[in-house]
Amino acid sequence: MTGPSLDDVTDSPDELDDETATQLVKEAAEVQDMTGEVCPYPQVEAKKAVQQLDEGALLVQETDHVPSTENVPRAVGDDAEAKVWRSGNGLYRIYLWKQ
Amino acid sequence: MVLQLLIAAVVGIGLGIFLQKGRFCFVHAFRDLFAFKDSRVTKGVLAATTITMLFWSIAYELGHYQKFWTPGWGLTGLIGGFIFGVGMTYAGGCASGTLYRAGQGYLHFWLTLVSMGIGYTVFTLLFPTLQTVYFDPLTFGEGLSLFTVSPVPAPMLALLVTVGVVLVYSTVVGREQRNGTVDQTVATDGGRRTSATVAGFQSLVHGTRQYVRGFTEIDNWVAASKRPWNPITAALGITVLAALWFTQVSIVGVTGPEARWTGYLLKQAGLDSGSYTYWGSVLFKGEGVNITVDMIMITAVIIGAFIAAYWSGDFSIRVPKRRRIPNAVGGGLLMGAGSRLAPGCNIGNIYSGLAELSIHSFIATIGIVAGVYVMTHWIYRDIGCAV
Repeated sequence: MTGPSLDDVTDSPDELDDETATQLVKEAAEVQDMTGEVCPYPQVEAKKAVQQLDEGALLVQETDHVPSTENVPRAVGDDAEAKVWRSGNGLYRIYLWKQ
Repeated sequence: MVLQLLIAAVVGIGLGIFLQKGRFCFVHAFRDLFAFKDSRVTKGVLAATTITMLFWSIAYELGHYQKFWTPGWGLTGLIGGFIFGVGMTYAGGCASGTLYRAGQGYLHFWLTLVSMGIGYTVFTLLFPTLQTVYFDPLTFGEGLSLFTVSPVPAPMLALLVTVGVVLVYSTVVGREQRNGTVDQTVATDGGRRTSATVAGFQSLVHGTRQYVRGFTEIDNWVAASKRPWNPITAALGITVLAALWFTQVSIVGVTGPEARWTGYLLKQAGLDSGSYTYWGSVLFKGEGVNITVDMIMITAVIIGAFIAAYWSGDFSIRVPKRRRIPNAVGGGLLMGAGSRLAPGCNIGNIYSGLAELSIHSFIATIGIVAGVYVMTHWIYRDIGCAV
């Protein structure tokens, strides 16, 4: 996952629009409430949960910790495909599809 | 004095903005490197420290600098640094990370700040004893900066160190790249393998070009400013501010001014803090317990981080989960005590200390990174670390 050059530092997951983001939460296999948690606990919990999921299943993490939107997708690496939704007022959701 | 206050405000607010936008955190830089080989922020730290060293060496050579910070070297750096490293990993933010996240609305990190204050106070009360049982026996020599003793001019020395850093960096990157794409490497150079160092250097040049080109692709600067920034951008911004601070006031430190704030606030609460050796003669140097310019600077970091977070839509009052209170309190106490025992925090030692080539800071950096390593393995014990 970690590329060797400086350009990979700007990689962050694609963002979802409000409607899709709300719809996807209903389809999620698991929703983790990670608000009030700081690094690295969202990463640890995401890795644990993804290991339990079936292939293609969706894990959603709700977080108010900005760095998690980049760190959590990095932490699960190739185990899941990640997308992010930003509310604009400090709340985020991270969508992880088990690969 | 007015000019100094203005500089403190500009440097502090600027640092707050760059730290927040680049998510420039030293725990992140090392923890995520150990946990899953994520080196984005590590590269930012490396770039900031190296470029700052170059700037400072020039300022020193020209005489445009205020002072170095060079505590005596010995095992204190290793022990205090280790305690600090464990503390910052457990708390979830380093000394500077705690400041900018406090500005971003995390009550968790306000609690960490208060706990650090308790750590400074406990240390101050124990200082006379620690002096005889800890500092005296474990300090082996006078602290010094290699700039002051090097036979070659400081900028030349800094350039040599930079070349060394680039060579090591290129070799590491080149090796990783080769491990990832063995077949491709062989194919592109017709079976003749280029050395890892050359391959890594090419990738560094390519990455730098990509980074610069990235700016030309920004069509909406307002929208771009609200998105997270590249840690390299933060590193460059921090470097410029650190150069200004070095020529006008001192090196950049965080926990020293925080420990002074603690003494000052306790004095306002009625305690005669100036009568304690550590506050009175060490931190305030016998000049009385008053607000100093570096105390203003670190307070401005919180304000800068608030401005940046509010602008980006990242500000909100975040209430910590009850099960994270021990992290905020325990991590803060360890950071407060560790930063005094070392002495110095991540900013004082890893960033400023390495940039001024201080002997003490090389040792303290090893201690801090070792603390992060051990604590990361403990936190990730269920899922394992990559390094």
